[in-house]
Amino acid sequence: MRKSLVALTLAAAAVPMLIGVAGLPRPGDGSAPAHTHVVARYIAEGAQETGAGNLVTGVLLNYRAFDTFGEVMVIFAALAAVMAVLMPAAPSRPAGTPGNGTGGLQVSPVVAFIVRLTAPFIAIFGAFVIFKGHVSPGGGFQGGVILGALLMLLSVVMGRGMQAPLVPVRLARWLQASAPLAFAGVACLGLALTGTLLGYPAAPEMALVRELMMIVLELGIGIGGAAIILGLFLAMRGD
Amino acid sequence: MAGLWQNIDYAAFVALFCIGLYMIMAKQNLIKKLLGLNIMETAVFAFIVTSGMVDGGNAPIVAPGATGPFASPLPHALILTGIVVAVSITALALSLIIEIYRQCGTIEADELKGAE
Amino acid sequence: MSQLFDLVMLALLISMALAVARSKDLVAAAIIFSGYSLVMCLLWQHRGAPDVAMTEAAIGAGVTTILVLVAIGRTCRREK
Repeated sequence: MRKSLVALTLAAAAVPMLIGVAGLPRPGDGSAPAHTHVVARYIAEGAQETGAGNLVTGVLLNYRAFDTFGEVMVIFAALAAVMAVLMPAAPSRPAGTPGNGTGGLQVSPVVAFIVRLTAPFIAIFGAFVIFKGHVSPGGGFQGGVILGALLMLLSVVMGRGMQAPLVPVRLARWLQASAPLAFAGVACLGLALTGTLLGYPAAPEMALVRELMMIVLELGIGIGGAAIILGLFLAMRGD
Repeated sequence: MAGLWQNIDYAAFVALFCIGLYMIMAKQNLIKKLLGLNIMETAVFAFIVTSGMVDGGNAPIVAPGATGPFASPLPHALILTGIVVAVSITALALSLIIEIYRQCGTIEADELKGAE
Repeated sequence: MSQLFDLVMLALLISMALAVARSKDLVAAAIIFSGYSLVMCLLWQHRGAPDVAMTEAAIGAGVTTILVLVAIGRTCRREK
């Protein structure tokens, strides 16, 4: 595009935004409308009603659980679309040659040793972040991404690409679908218990059931996230 | 202008948004355009998270011993969903760019336009 | 002091975004984008959002950078 047109569009976009931003309440102001309507109730009663000390997890998995349902469907659909675009392509090498997964990259033995040494600790940290997500900062997706990054590292260092993947393909497909499946399962359980889809039972003596539902959801999101990120990486590498 | 200096954070995020918009419009390489889209997305996320902060506020974790005004947890939850959607968009766009390169041999937008 | 930290972080963010825009080498742009993501993570931790900071550090500086580098490896490295 011509430079004058670009400059004009940028000015037309920036000036109204700056004028609008100048009229907003100061960030950090406790009496701004962002803090006084629904959020006051979330902060005051969230820990008791949801059973989660981490209010963000409580909002994500209890008050706004449908948004999280949509989020796991989006990333699952992205994986399906990436596979549809890249996998039917002709392989860059004739199929049947035993791939070495690293695409010809020589991994230094120092790197391989360090990765193999620290992999169990990274896996424990990822599992910790998933399971403690409802009482400390963390949660399902954060731990899932940490585990997914660990699996990506291992698949490069150990030289396992598409030909001999770390996780067998049939199991990997089920693991990738585990987040939507966990949500569907908990939604049906909520339907059975309360009569509304994804409804949490509100009685105080069912607090254990609420917490279990939340942990199942977090586990599903964590494992699903890790498998989906590994699937994206392997599909894009192509060998 | 006093209002703009008080909201200097918001003005900086507007500037980041415009830098991302410039990259999408003016750069010809498809991967540069995608990085510009990511910069725009992170600018919007930063704007929304900053609108939920409170002066001297702590993280919204209710543990025994946690006191003080809490930052609002609702923008944080919305942005977590937004970050996941952003990474989905990036992954799909990158796979399309790889396929375009395999079919057409170039990822510059003006060369692609001329090749039709 | 906290105000000064905020201003320095914001200036760093804007300069890193400009560096991503102007760099001709795509690998350099991807690495600077990863650093931009980390500075954004620090900013959010300073604003009292540890969950969002953890997610942005894992995804922006981790997954997005790796996927962009894989894509650069399969296409061109330099912008024309």
